[in-house]
Amino acid sequence: MHRAIATLLIVVAPFPAAAQGVVRGTVRDKDGAPISGASIAIPGTTLSTRTDLQGQFRIAVVPAGRARVHAAALGYGPVDTAVALTGGDSTTVDFTLRAAPLALPPVDVVSDRVPHFGDRPATSVAQVTERDLDRRAVNTVEEAIDHVAGVQMVNGQTNVRGSTGYVQGLNARVLMTVDGIPMNQGDRGGISWDLLAVDEIEGLEILKGAGSSVYGSAAFGGVINVTTRDVPAGLHTRLRVNAGVYGDPPHPIWRFRDNPGLLGGADFAASYGTDVAGGRISVGDRHSDGYRQQDQDDHLHFAGRARWQHANTRVDVSGAWAVDRYDVPLSWCSRGKCDDKGQVFQPFMVDTTERGARTDSRKGYLAARVRTTVSPQFAWTARGSWLRTHFVDVRRSATEYGVGDRFGAAGQIEAHPESTRTVIVGAEAAFSDVTSDIFGSHSQSEFAAYGQSEQRIGPLRVSGGARLDFLAVDGGSLTAVVSPRIAATLNGMWRASIGRGFRSPTMAERFVHTTALGFDVVPNPWLRPETAWSFEIGHTRAPLLRFMRLDAALFWTEARDLIEPQVLRIPPDTVRIQLQNVVRARIAGLDASVIAAPIPDRLIATLGYTYLDTRGRLVGDSTEGPLAFRPRHLLTLGADYNVGPVGLGADFRFASRPERIELEGFVDPRRVAVKVLDVRAAWKSGPVELRVLATNVLNYIYNLVPETLAPVRTVTLTAVWSQ
Amino acid sequence: MQNHGQVDAPPAGAKLLGMPKVLLLVAVVAACGGGLEPEPICARTLVGLCGTLRFRGTIPDSTDNVFIAAYVTFPQTCNDLINNRRPFIPGSVPYTDSAAAYSVPLSSGTYQWVVAVWKKVGTLTLTPSDTALLRVAGYYRSPTDSTQPGAVTVPSGAAAGDINFVANFDSLRPATDFVTCTAQ
Repeated sequence: MHRAIATLLIVVAPFPAAAQGVVRGTVRDKDGAPISGASIAIPGTTLSTRTDLQGQFRIAVVPAGRARVHAAALGYGPVDTAVALTGGDSTTVDFTLRAAPLALPPVDVVSDRVPHFGDRPATSVAQVTERDLDRRAVNTVEEAIDHVAGVQMVNGQTNVRGSTGYVQGLNARVLMTVDGIPMNQGDRGGISWDLLAVDEIEGLEILKGAGSSVYGSAAFGGVINVTTRDVPAGLHTRLRVNAGVYGDPPHPIWRFRDNPGLLGGADFAASYGTDVAGGRISVGDRHSDGYRQQDQDDHLHFAGRARWQHANTRVDVSGAWAVDRYDVPLSWCSRGKCDDKGQVFQPFMVDTTERGARTDSRKGYLAARVRTTVSPQFAWTARGSWLRTHFVDVRRSATEYGVGDRFGAAGQIEAHPESTRTVIVGAEAAFSDVTSDIFGSHSQSEFAAYGQSEQRIGPLRVSGGARLDFLAVDGGSLTAVVSPRIAATLNGMWRASIGRGFRSPTMAERFVHTTALGFDVVPNPWLRPETAWSFEIGHTRAPLLRFMRLDAALFWTEARDLIEPQVLRIPPDTVRIQLQNVVRARIAGLDASVIAAPIPDRLIATLGYTYLDTRGRLVGDSTEGPLAFRPRHLLTLGADYNVGPVGLGADFRFASRPERIELEGFVDPRRVAVKVLDVRAAWKSGPVELRVLATNVLNYIYNLVPETLAPVRTVTLTAVWSQ
Repeated sequence: MQNHGQVDAPPAGAKLLGMPKVLLLVAVVAACGGGLEPEPICARTLVGLCGTLRFRGTIPDSTDNVFIAAYVTFPQTCNDLINNRRPFIPGSVPYTDSAAAYSVPLSSGTYQWVVAVWKKVGTLTLTPSDTALLRVAGYYRSPTDSTQPGAVTVPSGAAAGDINFVANFDSLRPATDFVTCTAQ
């Protein structure tokens, strides 16, 4: 005990100033161009940072003596170097990274929560980098995620390895964090994708599989971490303008307007920073006529970020506010509900009963983070956040509204007591409330404590930990959930993990009281958390056949108490719908991705494939069947060819037809496989960049959920000027 | 400095330069066809009945929709009216124009009553009490005796076409004009 306390004191005590120095420098490619977002770390310590737009970095509190510095960036081979540092002095290290498209990219998603040595984690992580966002010229975060292997966006809901399926507007089995701060809505638990402008985003990391042992509720099927742009040194401005046009329906009988639909928008950001402080503000606006009847969308957002750094402490404050007004094409027009021109259904038009349906939505967040690197062996982080969402749904039958808040606070300690061991412990608290005419007025409190450790034993790295969550609704009794996890990697090539995931019912799920499909939906305050055990074994091999990289994982999830809508028949003559903990499920499959670079710097091709085998059954019923909205096969193909300032690329997505949907018999069961081809071209010269993107270029007509048409062919031109 | 991550381009890679082209070709071929297509109401694949419903009279303000249902035997009670309805949850027919094409998927067999039902705004419970929201707007009549309902036979694996009749909004009749309802 005394030894442990003494060790802790040694670790916590700041190094004497004379024994510390600063490492600064730049990271560039072989042509001398700066590489932004490169990861710079002193392995085995808490010291790490990323390069700014000029490729510059600075790490303080580096112990005097010889230090190993590691630099890595996506698409480049990592470089290690040793520097000699005198106490109180600074040393400059300039890195030149060579292009290596098959090199594994650095991963930051878990560095905030999971102890590590700067290596790849023992669970599957997919990345969408700034370069991916740029070359795909996407306009929303959802579009960026939809190309990730094993991930499918289903009408705004994220399906990571089949975890979520589709439940409209009441929950999400994937947690979204923005710079590590949970951002799922306080009332409905969903993700407000339009809260962040795509131009604010530097990258996305998708942690696949149960992440509750680290992140708690909602990380049942995975975590999406959004990293926003940092504030670089100097004065910088960025203007992004885009305009586009939607394709007409491919069959004349489906045409519903005389002129094509248009879309467009503009984002502007300005920042100024020094070594000590900096700030950025941005504003953006966009409009879309939509690709179907009653599909207009107007969006306005503001965002800001400030940073302050003094000695070994860094403070970040960020916030955003978005206002949306969008028409709601609730479902396509079935026979008799519109001018269907003698058709059984008209997917481009809506029912006359739903004309005028729209949603007014306002949402915003404010977050602050303080991180102090006390010593190379010890750092602490504190966070606070407030997320507010407000919506008004205007329908012909009724107008519904909801206001939700989520207040969060967290503290975390990261320690490297030995060069072969890292430890992270932390505590979190969150308070959510809702006031709504369909959810009522309720509140939910969450408290959690967690601890994780990783040990290196030769080529083996073993990590493990657990998280304890307490949940209380409306000040009632606490429900406790324990989420353990253990993982291991061997030689950085083989990985295996097992962990428990859970998702607490949202207040919307517990207390929703509305009408759907003509039936009353009644509340169920007694809902319990959904739970699951997830297992994964994976392998990474690079190079394979000298020009490819392969990553493959087998996964298996056993879930209990999944919440699904049930039809209740109450004698003599009442039919109601209620959400209940009724489904046990197994989700198993294979997730594989291949990157091939037959001509480095010129040609890169990617392939992602996911095979899903799902089985679910109602409690008390021995009949098994596939889970709803889970396609058995997901395939993504991509290729990019670059010559000087010009780039050409294409992506193809395939998802097999889901074998089952919810409430079959009550909704139009039509559904087909997804086959979408996107093509793009880009040209860059100095501060100006032009991109043309044609999505669904073959104008393939499909739907992901019942009676809801997915986007048609859309061509957009994007111009970016950054200085 | 060491560089641990560089993977140089191998000569073998040149053999597979065509791979992206092949992938693109596969994608284009795979993406052709197979999506949602227009479906005429009297589709060739329909098993059931189809025809034209003509409307007369003034559409009531409280109209929610109009649908067509069929009965193997003429219903005797309110309970029969709800529980023996085919299909159990019928699709609606456009009623704002003077006529509308319709089709009703049904299993093969003979149906003694094909009826157009008007529904006023309200929530259905799939029980006999639904009849409070429903009215008979018209029904298919016998070609030989227009005062009587006409029987329609749906052939095996095909559709019975030209089942044309009239729905009159000025003459909406309650279920009790046709069946006996004990309690609602």
